[in-house]
Amino acid sequence: MLYALCFLLFMIGLYCAVVKKNMVKITIGILIMEYAVNLFLIMLGYRLGGRAPIVGKEDLAGAGGQVSDLFVSRCVDPLPQALVLTAIVISLGSLALMISICIRTYEKYGTFDITKIRRLRG
Amino acid sequence: MAQEEKIANGVKGMTVIVKTISSWVKMLIILFGIYIVITGHLTPGGGFAGGVILASSYVLLMLAFGREFVEENLSLPVASKLDCLGAFLFALIAILGFVLSGSFFANFLFQKYLPGKVLELVSAGTIPLSNIAIGLKVGASLFLIILIFSICCKDFKPGAPVNGKE
Repeated sequence: MLYALCFLLFMIGLYCAVVKKNMVKITIGILIMEYAVNLFLIMLGYRLGGRAPIVGKEDLAGAGGQVSDLFVSRCVDPLPQALVLTAIVISLGSLALMISICIRTYEKYGTFDITKIRRLRG
Repeated sequence: MAQEEKIANGVKGMTVIVKTISSWVKMLIILFGIYIVITGHLTPGGGFAGGVILASSYVLLMLAFGREFVEENLSLPVASKLDCLGAFLFALIAILGFVLSGSFFANFLFQKYLPGKVLELVSAGTIPLSNIAIGLKVGASLFLIILIFSICCKDFKPGAPVNGKE
């Protein structure tokens, strides 16, 4: 059910990116799609009643610095979180690129409407 | 003293209240960013979050004092060099792992030279060094992005033809 909501959010972003003609709205649609994918990945690693995967002093067992079994059985999966952090960084870079393209286009043509940008001027 | 004069009679930027408060708060933000970067292997945070906090301190200064004040402190070529230095350090750590231990990104300090104990500040080998490199890279590049947007929109005329054509 919750995964279907993620898919719905992705479809909203896809609709916004495909149908709208304003460049800023297309940028926002692409961002909504990225956030839907991030939400989906985070929810894949979720565990009911789980805790954050941060090792404290009380989670260590033995002298060798091993993490206790109780901690492993209760904490959520940290791998999707690391993946999503990387995806957020990449989406930040692509957002900067898209906004700079929007700024240059508006500077050159005076409009954000992609149907009015027909001529390629050198 | 020179900085207080600039606060008092600066024309650019926001009001005196915002300038005074941001000149107090900026060092705290920078310290918090450095703390997040350095203890990234023990607590939540790390290179990216700390780098964003470091960049946001300079963005605060840019909003309060204007772009020229920030460019005097951390000019665009210096920030670009810091950006490249962060990426270079990260690649250097990765390749040193390949040279010294046989695999890419191998934690060569942890195995041989720096045993350390778990949950101490000096404990994780090359991971804090990588965090510092990432923090430098992210902070400088995020600062550069916002600075370049600010420079780009300096004399912004919508619809004006570029290069004087038409």
